[in-house]
Amino acid sequence: MISGFTRRGVIGTAASLMLIGAAQAQSEVTIGLVLPLSGGSAAVGQQYRTGISIAVDQINAAGGIKAMNGAKLKAVFGDTQSKPDVGVSETERLITRENVAIVGGAFNSAVSFPASEVAERYKTPWVTVGSVKDEITERNYKYVFRINNKATYDAREQIDAMDLLKKETGKGPKTIAMFYEGSDWGRSHAANVRKIAKERGYDIVLDEAAPPNQVDFSAQLLKIRASKADALIVAFYTPDHLLLTRQMYEQRLDIPYGVHSVGGGTEDPSFYKAVPPQAVAYYFVQEDRQVDALQGTRHPEYDDLETKFKAALNYDVSAYGAQGFSLMYVIKDALERSASADRDKIRDALSKTDITSGPAMYVGYRRIKFDENGQNTFANGAISQNLGGQRLTVWPAESRAPTTKPAWPVPAWSERK
Amino acid sequence: MDPLILSFAVVNGLLIGGIYGGVALGLSLIFGVLRVVNFAHGSLLMLALYAAYWLQIWAGIDPYYSIIVTVPLLFGIGFMIQSVIIAPLIRRESALVVEPLSALLLTAGVYLVIDNLALMAFGPNVRSATTSFALPPVMLGQIPVNMPRLIGFGAAIVVAVGLAWWLKTTRMGRAIRAVASNRDAAALSGINVPLVYAVTFGIGASILGLFGSLLATFVPITPQVGLNFGIRSFIVVVLGGIGSLPGSIVGGLVIGVFEAIASQFVPATSAAILSLGLFVLILLVRPSGLMGKA
Repeated sequence: MISGFTRRGVIGTAASLMLIGAAQAQSEVTIGLVLPLSGGSAAVGQQYRTGISIAVDQINAAGGIKAMNGAKLKAVFGDTQSKPDVGVSETERLITRENVAIVGGAFNSAVSFPASEVAERYKTPWVTVGSVKDEITERNYKYVFRINNKATYDAREQIDAMDLLKKETGKGPKTIAMFYEGSDWGRSHAANVRKIAKERGYDIVLDEAAPPNQVDFSAQLLKIRASKADALIVAFYTPDHLLLTRQMYEQRLDIPYGVHSVGGGTEDPSFYKAVPPQAVAYYFVQEDRQVDALQGTRHPEYDDLETKFKAALNYDVSAYGAQGFSLMYVIKDALERSASADRDKIRDALSKTDITSGPAMYVGYRRIKFDENGQNTFANGAISQNLGGQRLTVWPAESRAPTTKPAWPVPAWSERK
Repeated sequence: MDPLILSFAVVNGLLIGGIYGGVALGLSLIFGVLRVVNFAHGSLLMLALYAAYWLQIWAGIDPYYSIIVTVPLLFGIGFMIQSVIIAPLIRRESALVVEPLSALLLTAGVYLVIDNLALMAFGPNVRSATTSFALPPVMLGQIPVNMPRLIGFGAAIVVAVGLAWWLKTTRMGRAIRAVASNRDAAALSGINVPLVYAVTFGIGASILGLFGSLLATFVPITPQVGLNFGIRSFIVVVLGGIGSLPGSIVGGLVIGVFEAIASQFVPATSAAILSLGLFVLILLVRPSGLMGKA
């Protein structure tokens, strides 16, 4: 516990400096990060942590926060264990004990939702990463921000992709089945799909939730089969997505217009290590970031990130790693403008964020600018299809490589090799 | 309802039900002989699952081959739990009661200790083992039957029949049945009751060793997975008739098929609630369980 003791000592010093006055030089800005480092989403949490740590090292090596006399960033991690109650207490600990200037987190919507409320109560800026539950940025909170998509955007993009492919080929689904995890993220997504699908004239023929950490999906898969849905929209975190994908593969369940996953498990590289490639062939995935964007033009400025990430985790930068990396540059941008570790000043600076270039854009959005609720309205994702073992962007059409030919409808199991 | 879907649900239910029954066999045997409700039953299955998983990770042993390790390992663990933890209690209470009720609390303690030690040692992450055997599904008409589950189902039937035969014909089996029917009389006729108890507990646990290896390929392995199976096992055993080996299988099949069919009409999680309702109903009509002797 020696390291914990000295860390507290350092923060104590930082806190007393803060009391003396913002004008005084600060050697360090402590940033709290509440992430699922264990539990069901542990693999995702590790990717965030890796991206964040690389960005912190880069920023510090480049001279820290210039507006604060070169103050260094210091990331302090709290483990949510992928659970809301633990996430809330970790957030409270980081804010009150570690005296962090700003908190980022927490991937799982069920965790971010209550944890951001704690941050709001302590008047500490909270930047949501990964979580998409709409209501996180719909509560008129002053201290809560979100860089990535909210669930409505995700759902709209999934249906947009179906509409686009329908327009291009003249063929498409009429009925949709929904199968999703029964906590905040899945339910929020399902509600949005229900609404948008209805507006666009699709019939929802099955609407089924499942609690986390199941051991068998046979019964639910049979329901999907019985519903004869043309397309299936799913939202699951890694463990259940693994189970679902394996069992769908075992049962040779045909869905004419494919499985449309809204991410979660299917954006997690560790997921792809645990399933046979045939099991995920032709999957549509709503990606937080255009996964094949970096294949064409090289960006040497990201070599450091990409080599270090690969060295740490043994796969290329994931959407989650990219989000973590981008998050730290958004925070750096705000600190340069607040020129202080004062929580209110950082909040004000964050609310005036308007980034269109630089490392913060690595995550692939057009722009980062928050609305009055703290939502980045310029966030967007992409829809990929797993073709020949690679996730290739099919939506938006302008991001689709000329060589990418979507499989639509997807081949039946009996026609696959 | 589409008859194909219905028959599909029945097949799925039979497979998973047979596995529930197989997992419950040990619980039924232990209760039938020792009159001890083993609360740690699911935890022992969890240990077996982890044993199969780690054998694959560390030694590269396929889960199906790991049976040769997990079965004796779990026999040893079961034997030790009985002779070290439960036996002193039975000795102390033997003069007072025939059914050592406090053993239930004791095994509940064992369950808490094992589950939390596993959480400490293995962490909360979900793991899964993979077999190197190609096990494509068998087509039953239009219905694909999952091979690892079919193997689990077959193993449950084989173990139930084999165990019943062993209890009937061997010397140890007869000793176990003698102790089950009257402990004091068995002791008077020269049977080593503490040894019979420990062997019975060991056999009950070794069945879990077998199922740990067989289930490791398709059940997500977590420190809490035992509870899921432990509670199911209780329902299955009480439903089928306490101490009855065929009853354990029949109880498993009834619960499995019922839940599979009910899930087609209500969300799968509500089906589990309905199966508890069925359980209460059957016990109201047949208090000794489906195959139990009245």
